[in-house]
Amino acid sequence: MSLVARQSLLARRVLLVVVAATAVVLTAACAPPGADNSNSGQNNAGPIKIALVDAQSGQLSSLGAWELKGAKLVVDEWNAKGGINGRKIQMDVFDDQGDPTVGTNLARKIAAEGYIAMLGTAESAVTIAMADILKDAKIPNITSGQSTGLVAKKSPFLFLNGPTSTTYDETLAKYIVETKGLKNIAMVTNNGSFGKGEHDAFLKALTARNVTPLADQVVTTDQKDFSAALTTIRGKNPQVIFLGAEEVQSGLIVKQARDLGITATFAGAAPQGTPVFFDTAGKANVENTIVSSPYLSNDINDASRKFAAAYLAAFKEEAELHGAKAYDGAQILFTALKTSNAATGQALADAIRATKYKGLLGDFAYDETGVGIFATQIGVIKDGKLIAAS
Amino acid sequence: MQLFFQTVVGGLSLGAIYALVALGFSLVYRTMGLVNFAHAGVVMVGAHVATTFYLFAKLPFAIAMAVAIGVTAAIGLVIERVLRPLENKDFDLMLIGTIGFGTVLEALAILRWGATGTAVPSPVRTAPLDLFGVRVRTYDLVVLGVAALATVLLVWFLHSTKRGAAMQAVAMDHEAATAVGIHVGRSNAIAFAIGAGLAALAGGLVGPLLYVSPAMGGSLGIKGFAGAIMGGFGSIPGAILGGLAIGVLDSFAAGHFQGYSELVTFLVFTVIIMVRPTGVFGERTVSRA
Repeated sequence: MSLVARQSLLARRVLLVVVAATAVVLTAACAPPGADNSNSGQNNAGPIKIALVDAQSGQLSSLGAWELKGAKLVVDEWNAKGGINGRKIQMDVFDDQGDPTVGTNLARKIAAEGYIAMLGTAESAVTIAMADILKDAKIPNITSGQSTGLVAKKSPFLFLNGPTSTTYDETLAKYIVETKGLKNIAMVTNNGSFGKGEHDAFLKALTARNVTPLADQVVTTDQKDFSAALTTIRGKNPQVIFLGAEEVQSGLIVKQARDLGITATFAGAAPQGTPVFFDTAGKANVENTIVSSPYLSNDINDASRKFAAAYLAAFKEEAELHGAKAYDGAQILFTALKTSNAATGQALADAIRATKYKGLLGDFAYDETGVGIFATQIGVIKDGKLIAAS
Repeated sequence: MQLFFQTVVGGLSLGAIYALVALGFSLVYRTMGLVNFAHAGVVMVGAHVATTFYLFAKLPFAIAMAVAIGVTAAIGLVIERVLRPLENKDFDLMLIGTIGFGTVLEALAILRWGATGTAVPSPVRTAPLDLFGVRVRTYDLVVLGVAALATVLLVWFLHSTKRGAAMQAVAMDHEAATAVGIHVGRSNAIAFAIGAGLAALAGGLVGPLLYVSPAMGGSLGIKGFAGAIMGGFGSIPGAILGGLAIGVLDSFAAGHFQGYSELVTFLVFTVIIMVRPTGVFGERTVSRA
């Protein structure tokens, strides 16, 4: 067989595989019957069915793993006390793989299978993709996402268990520019939903303070070599480099920046306060990183110490921000279920909005946009630990 | 100029990894005419095994790598053995079989190591070298050196050993090879084992550069595959050149096109393939089907 014919055969085989894979995906996508407004399958005697949707596999699975642990602690706590009005809480876990398409499939599935509320996801893009289906099915959702795009959905069934990017980055810019007087700032953000949100929020906060970034480098979510972006930044000699990327990618950027001889301080929001970021970058490389976070450490007050101890006992690892956020979110949901006598649909959403909760992240009081908390603190990484900035 | 050279250095280091991945793809293809879609999964398993023995069993990095190569070579043998009954009977099923193995490997990795992943500290602790303002990580030099050594050994094996010559013969004409008494199945098994070993080498080496998780195989596999195609699928020098080229191309695209770099990398790749469908060393691609 000639070379050309052979390559065309290979192309046909690859095409066959692609077509087969597409068919499988389409079949899966079309299978669920769609949203069911009547909450079928839910009765008032059995367990209360809650869905936790998060990435349990893929690059973003560390977020999903933390979130699951935080929520599971609350479920176990409430079930140990007898559940809600005598009914046990049944929390089932669904893996969205950090993929919006998988997320929309799962949204239809949980609507069809009679789950009355959803916790997660930790990825704004996935949550945004699911929001319309959940809204049509009247299923309240407390997400760990922080993108302003969540608020823009204007869904009365969507709630955040933490502040939005605007709050994180406004607090961060205020500290860097006003408190520390540092104005030579470079930015590295990725073009994913989280990175884009961080880019826009931080740039807006800088612009409001008449500061123009020395460099504004955008990388792809899949990028692994940052030589070009970092060499450009090195040439501008900034005092601070703002990171708008998830844990692993932020860690790689810091590691490569230090290898290139960049000594600037790094700054960022939630991902930069996590152990995955510390480990990926290397402990010495993250020293002095400025972090804007609503949960700086497990040692803030009695509630956080109690949470951290329970977390450590249950999962043999230190608690961090994402577990704490999921813990607060689950507590708010179950409190609302209790006060509303296990209501569903609109009544449950109203009950969540009316819930005033003193949580690990602060005092929650939801407004009409679904945001319940509007403050973060500034921390600095010292000796591999995040501590409150002096 | 500094930016230019720094970008080249950054691209070459990941490019060497892509080249090793591409070598594995090409070796199996030239011997069996099969695209092994489980290859990216084997890279990922190799990275996990190397990490486990390096970080948790506290073995020296080189020994951990050797263990990983051994383990993945065994996996390669298993894959080949399972697919062997389909050899020369149903090629499409073989192809889908390798995709299935890839999925199985990822699922097993999640079961064994969890989905979260591990950061691997660099085994070479010396500070980066500064050459006229261009910083070169010492570990990058190790990666390039090991990749070069692996290539030399592979070429030597294929050209200067009896077993290697037998594999070349099978690659050229498996019926004629069978007629002169060469065991085609064994030859294929060796190709799979060496391919898998190269995958472990790539995975183990890339661990300290990136982050080891069950999802890591995806983009390494795609870039490695693209490298193999660009160099001329089935060609050993082509795989090396293609892998390095994809790494450097990626690095430059990132510098110039930022968020659109992935798009630009694959557009350039597509144009190159359109102009030269058989890749740079395409004329050496062995036809067997």
